[in-house]
Amino acid sequence: MKKDKSLIKTITGSREASLVIVLIILIAVITVMSPSFLSPTNISQIFRNNALTMLMALGMLCVMLTAGIDISITSTLAFSGMIIGLMQKFDYLHNTFLLFVIGILIGTACGVLNGLIIAKGKVAPIICTMGAMYIWRGMAYVISNNAWASGADVAGFSDFGKEGSFGPYIILIIAYIAFFVVMKWTKFGRKIYAVGSNTEAARISGINVDKTIISVYAIMGLLAGLAGVLSVSIYASAQPNMQYAKEMDVIAACVIGGVSMNGGRGSVVGTFLGALIIAIIAKALPLVGISAIAQNLVKGVIILVVVVLNVITQRMMDKQALARREM
Amino acid sequence: MAGKSGRTISATPQGGIKEKIFSWEGALILLLIAVNIFGAVLSPNYNMTNILRESPRYLAEIFMLFGMAFILVLGDIDISVGSIVCLTATMGCLVSNKGMGVGAVILVCLGVGLLCGMLNGFVATKFTELPTMIITLGTQIIFRGIAEVALGDGGSASMTDIQSIGILRAKVGPVPLSFFIVIICAIIFITVLNKTTFGRKLYAIGSNRTTAYYTGIEVQRIRFFSFSMLGFLAGLCGLFLLASTYGANTTTGNGFEMEVIAMCVFGGIATTGGKGNIIGGFIAAFIIVCLRIAFGQINMNTQLILVIIGVMLIVSVLIPAVTNAINSRKKTKKA
Amino acid sequence: MGEDLILELKGITKIFPGVKALDNVQFQLRRGEVHALMGENGAGKSTFIKTITGVHQPEEGHIYFNGKEVSFKGTKDAQELGIAAVYQHPTSYPELTVTENIFIGHEIMKGGIIQWNEMNKEAEKLLGRLHANFKVTDEVGALTIAQQQMVEIAKALSTNAQVILLDEPTAALTANESQELYRIVDELHEEGVSIIFISHRMEDMYRLAQRVTVFRDSQYIGTYDVDGITEPELIKYMVGREITDMYPKPEVEIGEELFRLDNLSKMGFFKDVSLNVHAGEIVGLTGLVGAGRTETMEAVCGITKADSGKIILEGKELNIRRPKDAMKAGIILLPEDRQKQGLIMNWGLGTNVILPIQDELANNGFINNKKEWEIGKQYLEDVDTKAVTIFDPATSLSGGNQQKVVVAKALVQKNMKLVIMDEPTKGVDVGAKAEIYAIMGDLAKQGYGIILVSSEMAEVLGMSDRIYVMCKGRVTGCLDVEDASQEKILELAMEQSGKEVE
Repeated sequence: MKKDKSLIKTITGSREASLVIVLIILIAVITVMSPSFLSPTNISQIFRNNALTMLMALGMLCVMLTAGIDISITSTLAFSGMIIGLMQKFDYLHNTFLLFVIGILIGTACGVLNGLIIAKGKVAPIICTMGAMYIWRGMAYVISNNAWASGADVAGFSDFGKEGSFGPYIILIIAYIAFFVVMKWTKFGRKIYAVGSNTEAARISGINVDKTIISVYAIMGLLAGLAGVLSVSIYASAQPNMQYAKEMDVIAACVIGGVSMNGGRGSVVGTFLGALIIAIIAKALPLVGISAIAQNLVKGVIILVVVVLNVITQRMMDKQALARREM
Repeated sequence: MAGKSGRTISATPQGGIKEKIFSWEGALILLLIAVNIFGAVLSPNYNMTNILRESPRYLAEIFMLFGMAFILVLGDIDISVGSIVCLTATMGCLVSNKGMGVGAVILVCLGVGLLCGMLNGFVATKFTELPTMIITLGTQIIFRGIAEVALGDGGSASMTDIQSIGILRAKVGPVPLSFFIVIICAIIFITVLNKTTFGRKLYAIGSNRTTAYYTGIEVQRIRFFSFSMLGFLAGLCGLFLLASTYGANTTTGNGFEMEVIAMCVFGGIATTGGKGNIIGGFIAAFIIVCLRIAFGQINMNTQLILVIIGVMLIVSVLIPAVTNAINSRKKTKKA
Repeated sequence: MGEDLILELKGITKIFPGVKALDNVQFQLRRGEVHALMGENGAGKSTFIKTITGVHQPEEGHIYFNGKEVSFKGTKDAQELGIAAVYQHPTSYPELTVTENIFIGHEIMKGGIIQWNEMNKEAEKLLGRLHANFKVTDEVGALTIAQQQMVEIAKALSTNAQVILLDEPTAALTANESQELYRIVDELHEEGVSIIFISHRMEDMYRLAQRVTVFRDSQYIGTYDVDGITEPELIKYMVGREITDMYPKPEVEIGEELFRLDNLSKMGFFKDVSLNVHAGEIVGLTGLVGAGRTETMEAVCGITKADSGKIILEGKELNIRRPKDAMKAGIILLPEDRQKQGLIMNWGLGTNVILPIQDELANNGFINNKKEWEIGKQYLEDVDTKAVTIFDPATSLSGGNQQKVVVAKALVQKNMKLVIMDEPTKGVDVGAKAEIYAIMGDLAKQGYGIILVSSEMAEVLGMSDRIYVMCKGRVTGCLDVEDASQEKILELAMEQSGKEVE
């Protein structure tokens, strides 16, 4: 009974496969125009410069799978990062490991709060996280009194994320492997998909929907807190306005990676590819002779084109299916 | 073909003054008064003259409130307006610096805003499968991207001839021009939304888009119109922002979209569509403006306002959820 | 006491905010029997099912499983005892595959890791048992409703359920698919599974069940042997009164041709559809689900656009591009789905009714409340809606009364000439059905043309003057009601060759 699918159908049918092809074409074109593109330095820079986005995209994937959204992440990042920075500035703590733990705990707490308000208070995710976005960004300013924690303040700690250190890469690799396994092979991962695909059905089949939603925002908060610590380490400073408005980059990475805003559809691999495509374009523009100033313009056009093309191909496939119907 | 059972159905509306006073809008007015008392008590400088002097840069943002209210009532969202403000202010500044008069600046700001809005509306109505959040996320980055390219390496532009657009800073007595525009907009938009069939069509679309379509309402035309209108108002905001800051840079209008949405939500407009009232949003906007000015006057950390906006936002949406839960629990007990 | 009961419920009372959904009801399920649960909409059947599956916790009452008292805190407890439900609307996860759907919540695990290979194999086995014609890797959203239901049944089987509850399983199925479902139920019955099913179709009950329990107005009425009860008796128990004339078709002088379609086509949906309607005539349009009836009518009303063909009203060809064009011309659609297409559920009834003509009632675009309320009240009373005020939200009405509001919303349009009713009595209880038929008869008497799109054979035969049958997007026949019979209609509806009329 099994029909063999043609190669082309597999490719157009699978979002990940088409993203890989886009990625290969992209890299090929850039390499032709600028042969030095694939140098180890460039590659490591791509990952280092985008480590925060890539990390938080994993959490955003989970949130979007439940048909939610979290726009408070960079505020959480700033809040946790700022606390970490201040602890060092005022010499409370200099232990890198403990600083990481504290940052992660702060982020998780912020996330749990979001989850509680959304799941128990039945507040729309965008509104709840918008409120949180204001609160934690404002708190970052208030606790620091609008001042920075400078490179000298965080010296030592910044060794973890400085150029040449493997720290950020290790965190990224561990995070991606862990999420890949959890989403595909554990009950918890299945629950997230179930809640996003059909909340009512999930409830009826005995899944604790509220708990799942709270966990998802907690995970998002955890990653945002981690990203905050990482950000202080990588950029060797903490300021209250760090990564301002970058949450949209994280959402954009997910959207390009095929994560649906309506929930239930999206994968770790797709998210990774989406984030990677944005990162590569940002790196490649100057190399192929387009001013770095145009980076955002190109990025925006790509997002719009990708989502619109998706709709158009879906419509064409539907039309073909209709034409095949015998009458 | 009269009813066979002879049953009659009442057509007399219920509820009266009591409900109006205890409405959300009533609570907001009380809060507005409280904020003003708070400001006046804490700072001797918190008076009408100072408020009016400080207000223009905040008032410009309120223009967009009216358009955003339409969009939210429709069940859509537009997060690109902050970028439209940036782009229009940039273009207006560049045109002015080319030596063109105030007429050209106005025309460019409003025209560019309208075009941006029309682009949002076009994509939203031609590709209805896409959530407007995604569309405007894309255009948000595009519009700011264009402004960044236009501003070049420095990332900012200043007006060389600030006198040329002086008319935009005109005042009647102490009251700035933008205040009158806000009031006129408020009257028009509140009337349209509450009193006209067009306003009801917006609510119909936001409540149930399919039913609205089946009932003969031109859903996509109305959505296109509303997105274009919001773009136009963002252009107006960009114009007045330019007039009060004498320039534009890549961060102009950053976060405006969220502030405007926050004002609407705080005013009782649901992001899920079909619910809420502009009056509430309008009062909420003034609460936020007054708070900002008051904080500025008493030299408090101005960023604390962010925390307060955030808390107010969450509390304002939690209140109905909590009261509903309590009410339904009461009802269950009664039965 | 000698009966072997697998499940027994006694004195169950369930209260929702403001209403008693179940009032001291009882129920007994014998081991291995197929037991029908019947009653009008709102009688409490669905709530009862959800009580058995642990979705709702009753305020009062006792549940016994295999003679032992149990209490369900959540759906998990019921699942563990072997009670599974297939709900009215498939509760599947459209973005996930068949395997993922079947095993959601009880995945096969080994050391905390999901065993995909084993699950796929197990799912294939289950599908084989149901003779399903799709693959375990298919996305459920891409399957038909009938196939999705099979996935649901497979899901129930995968938990080794001893008791399976089917909530209106045939409501969305075609005749063929229903037969397939009967076969599956028969097989489960033979395997010794106990089954409770809810249905509005008498046919389902007679074909499958041994016993039937009737609920009315949240109360238990009685349990009867299917062999010992007649249809009128059963209807009396369900409605609480006798219905004398179900189809009050009035004698109407049929006038001139009012409306015709010439070779209307839309790729993938319908092809070369030609039909006509005379003034005062009720024309039935039937066929299996998916035959293209609704799609054709939606093209007539401007919801979608036909690729080719002519729509002619009173001898004039119409160019219909959007719903407003059709409404202006006088073609009014009562859509199939009241809640999603017909009404704005959280709005007042009055506003719902006048919505199509609000621009005409307004003064230069400004809403005229007085006029609106007056007209809303008048039309709601005309169709005899069971409501207290015109400001009641549509959610407060039963399905039948909601449908009456949809009718009022059509009547309010003064220029109406042709009314298209798409499944006007779907999910409507027996009492309200008769009232809707009466309104339909009145409209015909007043000289309107009526197209009645329906899958319910008895209704089409009872109300129509002529019956068009569609199959696979084409009109396969037109029968005068005098010559028509269930068999003839079915024959045309399932005909394989693309024979055309006219």
